[in-house]
Amino acid sequence: MRIILTTALAALLPLSAQAAPTGERVTLRGELIDTWCYFSGVMGGPDAVVGSAHHTCAMWCAAGGIPVGMLGEDGETYMILKLPDDDESAGGDTFVELTNDTIEAEALLYERDGLKYLVVSEITSNEGIPNRTHEDFGVIPGFAIPDAVVDKVLGAE
Amino acid sequence: MKSIAIAIAALAFSALPAAADEECTVKGWGLSGEETACFSAKVVDLLCEVTGDCPEDCGDGKRQLGLLREDTGKLVYPQKNIQAAFNGPVVDLYPHCGTTIDVKGSLVGDEETLKGAAQLFHLHQLRPEGGEWKKANDWVKAWEKANPDAKGKGPWFRRSPRIKAEIEEGGYLGYGPEEDVEFIKDWY
Repeated sequence: MRIILTTALAALLPLSAQAAPTGERVTLRGELIDTWCYFSGVMGGPDAVVGSAHHTCAMWCAAGGIPVGMLGEDGETYMILKLPDDDESAGGDTFVELTNDTIEAEALLYERDGLKYLVVSEITSNEGIPNRTHEDFGVIPGFAIPDAVVDKVLGAE
Repeated sequence: MKSIAIAIAALAFSALPAAADEECTVKGWGLSGEETACFSAKVVDLLCEVTGDCPEDCGDGKRQLGLLREDTGKLVYPQKNIQAAFNGPVVDLYPHCGTTIDVKGSLVGDEETLKGAAQLFHLHQLRPEGGEWKKANDWVKAWEKANPDAKGKGPWFRRSPRIKAEIEEGGYLGYGPEEDVEFIKDWY
């Protein structure tokens, strides 16, 4: 009974009052992606919503507070809870600025209830956007570049 | 001892999903792996819940928030609110951080992208304890209030000063405005 009570009472405590979980130190390389469009398929298959084709939309989503993740070289998606000096994961400037960049990062990895989470301590390299998906898909969604901008460029020819 | 056991049993019963006896329906969006889901959950600061980094203000609305399900004890990641304008659910959830609410929405994601990971949550509606159901649609209104100078035509993402600054510097593709011009000439 004592064990049951102890377990039950521990479950009622906030995590902050319990022992903090420890993450695993990892070095990962991958693209910072818009996780909503990637997982939901709302704009098409996963190949079309990464890289340059989806860059504008990914910025909109990051600025709108949609979670940014890292699509790792291993094909796994890691939900990013913190970037160096920026824990504003719901629309913070660093999250917007780095969308679709492929980075290598030192981080702490946590796993909880079927998802992998990253707390990034250092970005050791940033390759920009090597994933030139616009060459195959154009821009996704198609209205990412306003008609007025397209007309202005084509009208100037 | 008996009173403690009764108290724990009472807490356990109060953890039953409040929405369980109600009709659980939402209008689907035709998403990958979409499954309607209704449950009761405590709103938590995800960084705090996962790592133990816990500010007193629950992240001040700037951190991602999670839903700690009362029926399963699992932590669920809400990704999106109900607005079709590229908006997450933190604005809707933050006023309730630390409390238990009822939610209606959809679990989203299929094996092609999840690769064994847990589905994420599309929040449609929420109901605070003792309150009424409301749509999770507060983001755009909050943005307009916070950006009174971002006037003009079009939705928020066309008028956002920081999005405009990013595009001015990096272009729509991320390679600078000159490459946008070449792309437009080639593609359109």
